[in-house]
Amino acid sequence: MNNPPAPDAGAPRRPTDWRGTAMQRRIRRRYAAERRFRLIGLGAVVLSAGFLAFLLITMLSNGIAGFTRTEVTLPIDFRAAQLDVTPQQLESRGADLALAGAGLEELVERSATAAFGAHGPDVISPHAWTGVRDALKDDPSLLNRKAAISVPVSQDLKSALDGAGKPEMQAIAAKLKQHDMIGSSFDFGFLMSADSTDPTDVGIWGAVKGSLFTMLVTLAIAFPIGVLSAVYLEEYARKNRWTDLIEVSINNLAAVPSIIFGLLGLAVFLSFMNLPRSASLVGGLTLALMIMPVIVIASRNAIKAVPPSIRDAALGVGASKVQVIFHHVLPLALPGILTGTIIGMARALGETAPLLMIGMRAFIAQPPEGLTDPATVLPVQIFLWSDQISRGFVERTSAAIIVLLLFLLAMNALAIYLRNRFETRW
Amino acid sequence: MNSFALLFLVLGLGLIGWLTARARAGRLIRVSATRSHSRPGQHATYVALWTALPALLFLTAWSAISPSLVREAVLETPAASTLPQFGFQRDSILGEARRLANNPDAGAFNEEARVLAPAYGKAQTRYSWIGTALTVLLAFAGFAYAYSRVSPVFRARTRVERTVMLVLLIASLIAILTTLGIFVSLLIESARFFSVVPITDFLFGTHWSPQVISSTDPGKSLGAVPLFWGTFFIGAVIAMIVAIPFGLMSAIYLTQYAAPRVRKWMKPILEILAGVPTVVYGYFAALTVAPAIRDFAVMLGFEYASSESALAAGLVMGVMIIPFVSSMADDSIAAVPTSMRDGSLAMGATTSETIRRVLLPASLPGVVAGILLAVSRAIGETMIVVMAASGAATITLNPFESATTVTKQIVDLLTGEAEFDSPKTLAAFALGLTLFVITFLLNIVALRVVKKYREAYE
Repeated sequence: MNNPPAPDAGAPRRPTDWRGTAMQRRIRRRYAAERRFRLIGLGAVVLSAGFLAFLLITMLSNGIAGFTRTEVTLPIDFRAAQLDVTPQQLESRGADLALAGAGLEELVERSATAAFGAHGPDVISPHAWTGVRDALKDDPSLLNRKAAISVPVSQDLKSALDGAGKPEMQAIAAKLKQHDMIGSSFDFGFLMSADSTDPTDVGIWGAVKGSLFTMLVTLAIAFPIGVLSAVYLEEYARKNRWTDLIEVSINNLAAVPSIIFGLLGLAVFLSFMNLPRSASLVGGLTLALMIMPVIVIASRNAIKAVPPSIRDAALGVGASKVQVIFHHVLPLALPGILTGTIIGMARALGETAPLLMIGMRAFIAQPPEGLTDPATVLPVQIFLWSDQISRGFVERTSAAIIVLLLFLLAMNALAIYLRNRFETRW
Repeated sequence: MNSFALLFLVLGLGLIGWLTARARAGRLIRVSATRSHSRPGQHATYVALWTALPALLFLTAWSAISPSLVREAVLETPAASTLPQFGFQRDSILGEARRLANNPDAGAFNEEARVLAPAYGKAQTRYSWIGTALTVLLAFAGFAYAYSRVSPVFRARTRVERTVMLVLLIASLIAILTTLGIFVSLLIESARFFSVVPITDFLFGTHWSPQVISSTDPGKSLGAVPLFWGTFFIGAVIAMIVAIPFGLMSAIYLTQYAAPRVRKWMKPILEILAGVPTVVYGYFAALTVAPAIRDFAVMLGFEYASSESALAAGLVMGVMIIPFVSSMADDSIAAVPTSMRDGSLAMGATTSETIRRVLLPASLPGVVAGILLAVSRAIGETMIVVMAASGAATITLNPFESATTVTKQIVDLLTGEAEFDSPKTLAAFALGLTLFVITFLLNIVALRVVKKYREAYE
């Protein structure tokens, strides 16, 4: 804003000529600046939302392919192969063992050579025979005839189908396409198996299970401690230096970088207490310390929002302090506490850095069976896959990211629902 | 019996104690002539606490000490006399023996482990039974003591309330313990590091290459200045160049201009940016942003532009911080009294003039504090730089060149194969301590500014 020249002291002040060209130009200029400013603001909002949209669209477009499995139809002549198993064996519980000993793997490789030429075994995934095994178990009558079974293709053929990779593979890919032998289907294996070195065979179930165990430990520790300390600070603590110290610690902990909690976990849980490395127990403990302040702060706000009249009324009819808190205040504050807890849990679910510090970055091909088994979690799995160069892992990584984002979305939606449905405004 | 089963057993006994004590207290109170001090539920809780708490405390202590008791017992068996006297070998054989005892199918490298496994299994079973027996005994003793005290005149309520208060106090002390734990563990490890590497070398040295640490002068390749610079450059310069204008302008637009409906939708959408896990941002930065920036730099004429440039990491980090800056700015603008805004508008200023000349100056301390908090968050951010920034420590002003950060180096140092005591891993703790102290100071200053400034208008 350009300040008009100060009127001379003493001289009679002439009224401003608002309709004069100079004044009109100034007003136009000021309004133009106003519009510009407003546009810049709108631009900032739109661009920020644009970043988000770009991020999500990139992940979606990369990730959709990660959920599908490219298959090729492989003709196998079981009757001619004379596998050393009977249909009765296939229906019994030892089917896997019987088939593994019967040379099924070799049969599949031979069939691939017969069907696709000398490079045949490279066309199908190294794990294709497990698919054939499952098909045989489903339908033992296959043993006595020829059958065409859909098996997953190898990563080489997959990239050849996209127009990259070795020339001989591209030739095979072109021929297969021509004969319409390539298909794709939803890959249930991705949701049900664990990590592997081959991108056509990897799955996220191991990581999801690890995340689940870790979150269980986190919840079991952070929720009671967080809520109880919030109750203490709001309902019991007298205002003194001790309470101040607790408050400062909690506020400070909420802002400590997550990787520092990883260092704490490494120094205290692993090297001092000798808990097992890479276990979801240690991961859960570390994350619990990290999100505890979030829960404390949310719970304190929820408890603070319960009006004093409720406490007074309960005390007035003879309830004891503990009865007031556990029968009246906490139930009323529960929606707020739960909302804060879910938001904290969502943060823990997406956290990676502290878990790398306590060794949850190993290659783990078996889903964990207990809290002390070596495990990995979804974000760490994403990190590990992102290091792989193979094109197949890019799709798988993005697919895993979609799964993680869906989990987070569900948790946040639940938190918003709880808040809107149950929170009382006094 | 494993400790989980034992835990549930104790909790079950507590529940049974609660139910029986409640029934007894109810009966006694009904038949007694005097008025009871406590309600049946309070007597029941008293009994349940006595049943479960001592047993649980013992269980915790027992699971901490029993492994070493088992170990001692195994070492006293004749089979253990052939073990090497000290060191790593001895520990690894014992560890394998334990694994074999728990799971006979497990493989073992050392033959001695097979010999020791039965002894280990026997000792484990024996101590596990001792532990179970003692726990159950304690639970019953606690129950018997408390149950015998149930009577209408007994003041169970006072005791229960005092115990609850104690539990609450202990829960709230965990926050202090955690802070203390962080500080002490970082300090101890850093002290060990600084006994090997002079602190001045670490803080002022300009050469960082932990891959080759000379044994005579480890300080020479552990100078952290390039890391401090990289952290500052990525987190406090590049990221803030993105986050401050975008965050501030979106906050201004959403609070001052946008229609309520737009605000209601856009604010949560922007907040999603803060909820996306950092590993996703890191992947996005490494896969999409970094190659694009390298191509752009090559187009501009930087032949040797790095595909792990400081710009890629900083840019994505800035986007992540936008909602953080935005919500802090939102809060401090909202804290400016409406009368100041109304006064300015009444004098004929346009909305943008009011914002720039009245609202922003008045909310400046809050905005600055918010930016300090954002910086503290940016320099502590790990996954984006781990995935998108480089490991090479250089001091550069060129955003297209590679730069590394403190957090990235901590991850690199600790995820290698080195043993726990080498200067390499200890250096990670020294870096962690530096990071902790800097973010702590930033937070304290920022919180103090915010508090002071809030009071000024209240």
